[in-house]
Amino acid sequence: MNSIDPRVNRLPIVEIVKPKAPLDQFGTYEVFVEPKPGKPFQHEGAVHAPNLEMAYILAKETFTRRFTCSSLYVVDTRDVFVSPLTEGDQNVFDLIEESESANGTSDFEIYQLSKRGKQHVFLGSVKASTPQEAIAIAKTKLNTGKMVYNIWAIEANKIRFTTEEEKEYWITLPEKKFRDASNYKGGDKLKQFLEKVKA
Amino acid sequence: MYGGGNTFEGIKTDSIADEDPILLAAFEARIERGEKIEPSDWMPQLYRKQLIRMIEQHAHSEIIGALPEGTWITRAPGFKRKMSLMAKVQDEVGHAQLLYSAAETLGKPREQMIEDLINGKSKYSNIFNYPTFTWADCCFISWLVDAGAIVNQLANAKGSYGPYCRALDRICAEESFHLKYGHHCVIYLASGTDKQQKMFQEALNRWWPPMMHFFGPSDKISAHTEVLMRWKVKMGTNDEMRNQFLDMYVPKIWELGFTIPDEKLKKNETGKWEYTEPDWEEFKRVINGDGPCNKERLEVRRIAEERGKWVRDALKSPKAKYVMPLA
Repeated sequence: MNSIDPRVNRLPIVEIVKPKAPLDQFGTYEVFVEPKPGKPFQHEGAVHAPNLEMAYILAKETFTRRFTCSSLYVVDTRDVFVSPLTEGDQNVFDLIEESESANGTSDFEIYQLSKRGKQHVFLGSVKASTPQEAIAIAKTKLNTGKMVYNIWAIEANKIRFTTEEEKEYWITLPEKKFRDASNYKGGDKLKQFLEKVKA
Repeated sequence: MYGGGNTFEGIKTDSIADEDPILLAAFEARIERGEKIEPSDWMPQLYRKQLIRMIEQHAHSEIIGALPEGTWITRAPGFKRKMSLMAKVQDEVGHAQLLYSAAETLGKPREQMIEDLINGKSKYSNIFNYPTFTWADCCFISWLVDAGAIVNQLANAKGSYGPYCRALDRICAEESFHLKYGHHCVIYLASGTDKQQKMFQEALNRWWPPMMHFFGPSDKISAHTEVLMRWKVKMGTNDEMRNQFLDMYVPKIWELGFTIPDEKLKKNETGKWEYTEPDWEEFKRVINGDGPCNKERLEVRRIAEERGKWVRDALKSPKAKYVMPLA
């Protein structure tokens, strides 16, 4: 290569990439963030990773590098049970049969979509034996009658949570002022310059 | 950065005729009401294809756009500038991740997109096929190319596809510092020594033509464009975006005492900017691979991909399975 950047010129010559094997890719993991203590967790997006632990690290970099949070967790996309998506004045809870079964012993985190186009937000936790049952119990216990278009149920023991010590990760984030627009005050310098030009 | 002047082509509008009219009417009514489309909703093939193309191009532009600025990290003037530039370049790469995820929800796997970038099948913003000779070139990108991108991104954030809008909201929020940082750098050059002023003026002269290309050629208002605008895939014509950019930034460039290399550039009585028609032959030539840095940009990506392969292979687990992300 003939680049003006000497480091590019020093790059080793490598073989041509062969077409990837069809499944030469990592799994996908969904990322949930608690913006500040007391605020509900919300869905932020997805990352690709070889495992849950790496997904956690990548999620931290991708979604909380710039905006601080108090906690974060990740779960394999396949472990999120998704209800149908409704629209208009069709509340998704109306499509689900109620259940009051009290036999379930697994904890499920329930997320709701209350406005199309927005993120899924944490609604509450229920005990159930299957995700289907968790949604049915959520209808009995968590349904406030407000419009809901979509429900997710995630079994808590499939989630990679943030531990107490790990919460320190985000403490120093607000100190990194160089990532803050308000750190670039050019106004005075500009004024000085304009006055000099005038004179 | 850097959703710039997207090219929509290759698909015939006739394909809408094959769509189920009842589903299509419900889909259009939803957009008309201002509601977002989500991945599990029904959508016309044309909508899906054009969005994949657009979001994918945007993601590639973030990845490739990190290269011309990234090359200045080691030579940034001072520790503060270096910290800022590193954070900015890191942001751009992070934005690519957000955008790839949004495009994926439409059904094209990320690895396929990365492969299409490397083998030259997918495009990215043409402006990154030009070299950054001096620090001032890097400042031009940080300030003005980002400014152009933000004009596009703010418009697209009001589009109809939920995952893309959510990614753009986050991107725009994170980018507020890029623009301020870029302006800050240029104010310092403008109020610096003659040599510094000259350095930025020369960068401006080099980058102005590609900056005008950035928003893409005037749209032919075809049935195709109208459909995409009705579906809120395309949120404004390329000329409207260019005009908005000129309106916001030409006065700021002039304020700093620089000359824009276009004698015809002025705002007319109707508030529209007039300018010398950009050289669209050059634009086409560069976008088709014959620019000063096309080969280098793709080669750097390809080498990075190949050199990282052993790490990905070592991490690969038979338990992980690729599925489409949720939203």
